[in-house]
Amino acid sequence: MDGRNWLAKLQLVLPACLVCLGGALIAGIALGSVQVSPVTVLKILLAKIPLVGDQVVPDWPRQMETIIWQVRLPRVILGTLVGATLAVAGTAFQGLLRNPLADPYTLGVSSGAAAAAAFTIVFGLHRSGAGLVVLPLAAFLGGMGTVTLVYRIAASTGRMAIHTLILAGIIVGSFMSALVMFFIAMAGDGVHQILAWLMGSLTFRGWTHVLVLAVFSAAGGLTVMALARDLNLLVFGEETAQQLGTNVERTKKLLLLAATLMTGGAVAVAGTIGFVGLVVPHVMRMLAGPDHRVLVPASALAGGFFLVLADTVARTILAPVELPVGVITATMGAPFFLLILLRKQHLARR
Amino acid sequence: MTAKISVMGTTFSYEAREVLRDITFTVPAGSFVGIIGPNGSGKSTLLKGLAATLSPKGGIILLDGRELSGWNNRELARHLAVVPQDTTADFDFTVEEVVLMGRSPYLSRWQVESLADLAIAAEAMELTGTLELRHRPITHLSGGERQRVFIARALAQKTPVLLLDEPTSHLDINHQVEVLNLFRRLNHQGVTVIAVFHDLNLAAQYCSQVILLCQGRIYACGTVQDIFTTETIRAVYRTEVLVGQHPITGVPQVTLLGKKTNPASDSLKVHVIGGGGAAAPLLSRLVSLGWRVSAGVLNKGDTDWHLSRVLGVTMAEEDPFSAIGEKAYRLNLTLIQKAGLVLLPPVPFGKGNLPNLTILEEALTRGIKVYTLTDGAFHHRDYTGGTALAVYHRLLARGMHEIPDLQQFLASWLHPTQPPLQPE
Repeated sequence: MDGRNWLAKLQLVLPACLVCLGGALIAGIALGSVQVSPVTVLKILLAKIPLVGDQVVPDWPRQMETIIWQVRLPRVILGTLVGATLAVAGTAFQGLLRNPLADPYTLGVSSGAAAAAAFTIVFGLHRSGAGLVVLPLAAFLGGMGTVTLVYRIAASTGRMAIHTLILAGIIVGSFMSALVMFFIAMAGDGVHQILAWLMGSLTFRGWTHVLVLAVFSAAGGLTVMALARDLNLLVFGEETAQQLGTNVERTKKLLLLAATLMTGGAVAVAGTIGFVGLVVPHVMRMLAGPDHRVLVPASALAGGFFLVLADTVARTILAPVELPVGVITATMGAPFFLLILLRKQHLARR
Repeated sequence: MTAKISVMGTTFSYEAREVLRDITFTVPAGSFVGIIGPNGSGKSTLLKGLAATLSPKGGIILLDGRELSGWNNRELARHLAVVPQDTTADFDFTVEEVVLMGRSPYLSRWQVESLADLAIAAEAMELTGTLELRHRPITHLSGGERQRVFIARALAQKTPVLLLDEPTSHLDINHQVEVLNLFRRLNHQGVTVIAVFHDLNLAAQYCSQVILLCQGRIYACGTVQDIFTTETIRAVYRTEVLVGQHPITGVPQVTLLGKKTNPASDSLKVHVIGGGGAAAPLLSRLVSLGWRVSAGVLNKGDTDWHLSRVLGVTMAEEDPFSAIGEKAYRLNLTLIQKAGLVLLPPVPFGKGNLPNLTILEEALTRGIKVYTLTDGAFHHRDYTGGTALAVYHRLLARGMHEIPDLQQFLASWLHPTQPPLQPE
C-alpha cells in the first residue's frame, strides 16, 4: 500500500458495491406477483441491447417483457436513483455540517416538501388533469423554499455558521411539521394519501420520474464528487480547510445547493423515505473509510443497493399487501447498522 | 533583510468585539518570531489574521509585498502553513491520509496525489516522528501525537512561512525540544517561523524576535534581550517574576515568584542567612506568603543577592567574592535584631562567610530564636577544616532548633495550636 489508501479502497469497494447492486437489481426485477427467473430477466434485458440483442432467442411470453420494461425496471432504477441520491446527500450533509446525526432532511427539505404535498392533497389539486406533475412539483418547491428560508436565517448573521444552520433547520422544520399535522387533521378522506406520501413509496412511478430525478442526481452527484477533497478538509473545521487552500464559503454554498437539490428531487418523486441518508453514509464510512473520494461513490452504490433491496422486500414479504418502503429501510437498516457498529468497536478494542 | 510580512495599523475583531487594535510590526524574511502575552491578549487572533483566516477590520497586511486579501486560498496555502492549537478530530482518517492533505494546495480538482507527494508526506512524518503511526486512525492518538501529525501536515505544505499556535502545548518535554529544534533547523534553512508561545522560557530560547501583546495591543516588540526584562514581564503579566540568564545558553529565563498573597500577616518578620543561592527558595516562598524578610550577608552578584533585590528584601551586602567585613557584619546583626527570628538554610561555609555563622551565637546570646533547615550533613558543607562544624555544634547546644524543611517551620509558626517545635 503506498499511502493513497483511498485509491486502493476505491478499487476494492466499488466493484464489490457494483456486484451487490447488480444482484439486488436482478432480484428486484425477478421477484413479484409474477415470478421471473433471473436468467430470463437477463435475457429480456439483453435482448434490447443493439448487436448483443440479436443473439438472444425470445422464449418468454410477451406480457412478461411488458411487466419488466414498463413496471419492474423503472421501479428498480428509480429505487437505485433515490437510494443513491439520498445517500450521497446524506454524506455531503454529514461532512458539511460536521455532524454524524445529520441526514438529508436535517435542514427541513422533507418537512417543507411534506407540508406542500399535504396542502396539495387536502385541496385536491393532485386530482386535476396535471396531477402527476403537480404533487412532485409542489413537494419540490416546498422543500426548496424551506431550505432557502433556513439558509437565509443562518446567513443573516454574516457568514453562514454551521450551528445556526442546523438550529434554524430544526426550528423551521418543526414549524413545517406542525403544518403537516394541521393538514392531516383537516384532510378527511385524504389522510391515507398524505400518510402514504409521508412514508415514501416507489409505486406507480414511471420512466418520466426516472429521467427527471436522473438529471438532479447526476448534477448534484458530480458536484459533490468534485468537492470530495474539500469535504475531507472541511471535516477538520472551516479554519483548517481555509488554511489548506479551500475556498470555504463557496464550497459550503455549492455543497448545500447540490445536496439540497438532490434531496428535493428524491423527495419529490418518492416521498420522505427515511434512514437511507442517515445510515448508508455511516456504514460506508466504517467499511470504506472517511475519505470522501471513496465515500461518495461508495455511498451512492450502497444507497441504491439498499433501497432496491428494501423495496423488493416491502412489496413481496406480505404480498399481495405492499408495505411502505420506509418501514423496511428502518427495520432492516437499524440492526445491520448496530451489527457493524458493535463489530467495529470490538475490533478497535482488540 | 527584506520584509516577509508587514502589518500596518491593523485591527481585528470577532463580530462587534475588538480583539486587537492598531497592530503594526514587520517580520523579516528568515526570522523566528515569537508572539507572547497573557491569556486573552489576542495571540491566537493575531496568528489567524496573518493566516487570512480572520480578515482585518482596517489597516494593511502585506505578504511578500502583496496585500494578503489579494491572495487566493490555494496560493496562500502554498506560501504559509498553519499548525492549529486545537487538535480535535472526529473522523478517523489515518495519520498518513491527514499528512497527505498538506499536499492539497498543490493538487488540481481531479488530480491524484503523485509519488512525489507521497515522498514529501513521508519526509514530513519522518521529521516529526510520526512515521510509525502512519496507519493509525487519528482519532486513536493522544493529544501530543495528534499535534505532531498536524505539524507534519503543515510541513508537507512546503511553505516558506510557518505559523504555529502553541505548537508544543500538548507535547512532553522531550518532544517539545525535538519539535522546536526542528522548527529552528527549518528556520536556519530560510523558513520564516512565527509562533505563539505560552511558555516564556521556550520563547526566549528559540525566537530571534518577540512581539509582546497586552490587552489587544502591542506592548513591546523587539529582540528577546529587549523584551525579556523583569520590569516588562512583571508589568504585562502582573505577577512577580525574576528574569535572569539561563546558566548554559545565556538566554533570558523567567522565574515565577508568584504574587504576594497574604498582606495581613505583616507582623511576621524573619531574617534569612544567605549565600550562593541556598536561601533563594526560602526567600521567594516567605515573601510570597507575606512575611517581612531581611537577609544577609550576601555577596553582590550572587543568586540570593539578585533575588533579594527583585523581591525588595532588605539586606546586608558585601562586595563580590569578598570575605564578610566589619560593616556588613554589623548591619547583619542590626537586621537580625529587628527581625527577632533567624532562619539558616543549608549554606556552605568557608573562611569568607564564617561570620554569617558565628553571628548566630551573638543572636542566641541576645535571646533571638534561631532555626536551621538541616540537610543532616553539615560536615559536607564545611570548607573551613572543622571550625564551622564546631560553631554549628555550639549553636545547637545553645538552643538553635533543627527543622527538616520550611513547611514544618511555617506550620508550627502559623498554627500555634499544633504541637510546637521540639526544643532539644
